[in-house]
Amino acid sequence: MSLVVKPNFPDYQTAPVQRGFNPYADNGGSVVAIAGDDFVIIGADTRLSAGFSIYTREQNKLFPLSSTTVLGCSGCWCDTLTLTRILKSRMQMYQQEHNKTMSTTACAQMLSTMLYYKRFFPYYISNVLVGLDNDGKGVVYSYDPIGHCEKRTHRAGGSAGALLQPLLDNQIGKKNMLNVKEEPVSQQRALSIIKDVFISAAERDIYTGDSILINIITKDGIKEETFQLRKD
Amino acid sequence: MFSAPPFWQNGPAPGSFYDFPNMQPQVQPNDFRQHTQSPVTTSTSLVAVTYDKGIIIAGDLLASYGSLARYRNCPRIVKVNNNIILGSSGDYADFQYVQNFIEQKVISDECLDDGITLKPKSLYCWLTRILYNRRSKMDPLWNNFIVAGIQDGEPFLGTVDKQGTAYSDKIICTGYGAHIATPMLRDALDNKPQLTQAEARAQVERCMEVLYYRDARSFPKYQLGIIDADQGVSIEGPLQVAQNWSVAHSIKGY
Amino acid sequence: MFLTRSEYDRGVNTFSPEGRLFQVEYAIEAIKLGSTAIGISTSQGVVLAVEKRITSQLMEPTTIEKIVEVDKHIGCAVSGLIADSRTMIDRARIECQNHWFVYNENMTVESCAQAVSNLAIQFGDSDDDGAAMSRPFGVAILFAGIDEKGPQLYHMDPSGTFVQFDAKAIGSGSEGAQQSLQEVYHKSMTLEEATTSALTILKQVMEEKLNSSNVEVMTMTPDKLFHMFSKDQVEEALTRGLLVEHPVTLTVGQKA
Repeated sequence: MSLVVKPNFPDYQTAPVQRGFNPYADNGGSVVAIAGDDFVIIGADTRLSAGFSIYTREQNKLFPLSSTTVLGCSGCWCDTLTLTRILKSRMQMYQQEHNKTMSTTACAQMLSTMLYYKRFFPYYISNVLVGLDNDGKGVVYSYDPIGHCEKRTHRAGGSAGALLQPLLDNQIGKKNMLNVKEEPVSQQRALSIIKDVFISAAERDIYTGDSILINIITKDGIKEETFQLRKD
Repeated sequence: MFSAPPFWQNGPAPGSFYDFPNMQPQVQPNDFRQHTQSPVTTSTSLVAVTYDKGIIIAGDLLASYGSLARYRNCPRIVKVNNNIILGSSGDYADFQYVQNFIEQKVISDECLDDGITLKPKSLYCWLTRILYNRRSKMDPLWNNFIVAGIQDGEPFLGTVDKQGTAYSDKIICTGYGAHIATPMLRDALDNKPQLTQAEARAQVERCMEVLYYRDARSFPKYQLGIIDADQGVSIEGPLQVAQNWSVAHSIKGY
Repeated sequence: MFLTRSEYDRGVNTFSPEGRLFQVEYAIEAIKLGSTAIGISTSQGVVLAVEKRITSQLMEPTTIEKIVEVDKHIGCAVSGLIADSRTMIDRARIECQNHWFVYNENMTVESCAQAVSNLAIQFGDSDDDGAAMSRPFGVAILFAGIDEKGPQLYHMDPSGTFVQFDAKAIGSGSEGAQQSLQEVYHKSMTLEEATTSALTILKQVMEEKLNSSNVEVMTMTPDKLFHMFSKDQVEEALTRGLLVEHPVTLTVGQKA
């Protein structure tokens, strides 16, 4: 045992201090998409926040990439800004190189590869890509930040994703229900479900609220709609 | 000072001790790069609000060194050209670096003499890219910039932070102001969506006063930048925060 | 004529005063030494037929490969310097696979031709990671493929110029063959007719006698995509078109 007792002066401690810069931010936001036989609807809330501050109450998080494809983003906003700009230019380059507009399926695959190319410094975004496929059928593709891509009929992503997905599975996917008839969801029902789930999300998730912007994609083009949510 | 080479690799030099604990070869990279981990000399909140024909932006003149109120006359609301005001909070050195860069851009613009000048949304987008690139190198510019300008006759107010997070809104406050001034201004805009210049100015002055009471890193001397569709750019100041401590003695309990 | 040429036909980066790049023109000339290849595009599909020059009895004819698969939906016939063509085919294959990898869809025939064209005109320029190519490729390519626009045939020459054709011949017999194609081609041609026509024209322009080992045939159809004819299938096509002189053996039930 040492006879020397070391004095303890906290102000003069030289233990390593963890410091650093976090390149990512969680800016919240939720995206919900539902695909039907000849349409697809995507909605995203317009709240942009960080921690307990609301940056703005009117931030559009839906990015139309072509007349039949829309991307919804939530998560790290600076990554979203960058990714969507790159996507927009890739869409234009494709148009010019191949003399045609990129299809939704092609766009879905491209987004996956673009995300994976940043595997070790990912875009921290939960992406939901919707559109009409080559047969005019509604499709929803959802991604994880490093490019895993999954095609589904309905999807909730973002800060209230975990809250809303089971609700959609039940209402759209008819999961865990007895004696249900499998029938394709109508545009009207899909729209009202999207509004309902966002109302619910705004009640429980502080990162979702203010209002939602909805894009309804059909063969006639993209129709925009807004819907107010609680603003507290 | 001259020192003889060691007797052998990692061995002692003549006249020095044989240093046992450090016998393992000290291979060090020679391409050290210090990245910014935290800001050094910082400035606090900025408050900006849009009114019917323009934007008012305010920020105090203090640059702090940690908790030390170090420099007391540091302007950080600057005119970029006849249709842009730039404001910064955060690291003051990084702001000066970016300011120099922008000044060079504006000079090049003027040299061309083609009547085409930098637009607010262009500067805003450019800053977004610069800051995002630096954050991607893990060497950020530790600032929160506010771009206020008039583009196509309409007021434009946008902000970019050190990560490249960017958005535009009618009200933008940075730092402590985001917590204290934003709710005050939002409330004002809820009551009257289109403020006049005088009303907006009164609101901003009220915010600066409250911030001076509540923000320990604030300072009573501040600048006010006004950009107006008709009157152009003006930077006023140094102005003094109207202080009233008469109720201070009655505040008890914390 | 040669007086002006001799001054300006060395560098690939030098225009002649008349505005010509002689090295490129010479490369186009090189194609005319190559074996003949014919492509015909019909509404049912595209057929490619090429001549294989068997210069020696000891040669193994199957190792001469002048029609190659680029992707399941794109095939190529080449004429000229075959070694050069390998580089271009490589590029075409990579571009097709990359397109599939990134976009999960088949590359269009036009885009594929464009991609190869980008390689073809890179002669003369060097960059950081590679020395310049010293000369243009001495190859002409026929791209036969199926995409969303249907069956298509593209021709590309050493200058990188690519044009869509209904029917096109390249190689030594191309002038005569192109003339014949003009006469025989019509929009409502069936693929079988096209195959027979291609072989008939090939027979006319070839020095050797046409047989199943000195000709390669490929069809590109919407259902089977790239399909290379086996020796038997070539034989059958030749027989059907009455292009062989040996006695035709009829199977039972067939009318003469």
